[in-house]
Amino acid sequence: MGGQTGFGPVPVGENGEPAFAADWEARVYALATMLRRRGLFNSDELRDAIERLPPERYLSASYYERWLAAIETLVAEKGAL
Amino acid sequence: MTVHEDHEDLPVAARTRRLEERLIAAGLTTDDEIDEYLTGLYTKATPVNGAQMAARAWADGRYRDLLLSDGNAAAAELGFSGLGYQLQVVANTADTHNVIVCTLCSCYPVSLLGPSPGWYKSFAYRSRTVREPRAVLAEFGLALPEDAGISVWDSTSEARYMVLPQRPPGTDGLAEGDLAALVTRNGLIGTALV
Amino acid sequence: MTYQAGTRVRVRTGDPDHHTRVPRYVRGHTGEVVAALGRWTLPDDSARGVEPPRVETCYAVRFSAADLWGSGEHTVTVDLWESYLDRP
Repeated sequence: MGGQTGFGPVPVGENGEPAFAADWEARVYALATMLRRRGLFNSDELRDAIERLPPERYLSASYYERWLAAIETLVAEKGAL
Repeated sequence: MTVHEDHEDLPVAARTRRLEERLIAAGLTTDDEIDEYLTGLYTKATPVNGAQMAARAWADGRYRDLLLSDGNAAAAELGFSGLGYQLQVVANTADTHNVIVCTLCSCYPVSLLGPSPGWYKSFAYRSRTVREPRAVLAEFGLALPEDAGISVWDSTSEARYMVLPQRPPGTDGLAEGDLAALVTRNGLIGTALV
Repeated sequence: MTYQAGTRVRVRTGDPDHHTRVPRYVRGHTGEVVAALGRWTLPDDSARGVEPPRVETCYAVRFSAADLWGSGEHTVTVDLWESYLDRP
């Protein structure tokens, strides 16, 4: 989305600071790392799964919601559960 | 029915926990492993690491040259080995100010700067920094001189970028530890001068 | 390595329906190679499970804002795999 216009000001300040806004976000980050290490998927597959989210979902979901949706997609597609 | 369709309506925290439980039950991870990983992340991945490297580069010309030509070797010298990415360090000068972004997804040198701040991952930062960096930097309170050039680096590959800020004036007598204390995470991304 | 630092290169156009790491805003634009980076697996292949995946040199390529956006004094440097690039 480089160069795409209309996204408004950068969320500088307290709201934009935390790396993880809630515990579940850190858990999602950790889950992705654990599953990558286990070889269930690689980083490119994770990015691809995020990019494959329907545009409305991509734009309305938060950053780690997108990661969670992508992990769920990959886990299902690879029949891991 | 896929995991994806089944639980979309659950509050996201509960959805995360449900996925975790199913993965643990399938033997793909454990609670302990996740906890250990996060503890390690919080304690070891911090911008103090990048700051140490910047301070060393200010104090030692040989280290500065190494940092700018082989970031991974320079990181390893200070004990940060096995980065998992190719570290490219770009130096601010009187003529050029560098700023880092990842427009495609938010890639970031986590081991040297800690987990990335929310703003770095925002659509606004990702979309605008390559197009109007001066305006973006102004939102961080950084007003660069009119004649300062801006070099934006979009992290699209296995390389991760870090800025070597300019050493602030009036710091000649300072010990390396005190120099490192001057370097902020935003300085290492390029949204602050130092 | 195909492209030396200082070489002008043009980014391929095209909008693949698979994962790729060419940002849209540089497609079709011409820039200058700043440096060759590592030789890495092409994400287009790695994301699709292509076996074996192509391994190519990745280049840091610099573009001017004036060229990309029609205005601006800054430059934007993007890392691009070799198969994303052509000679102009």
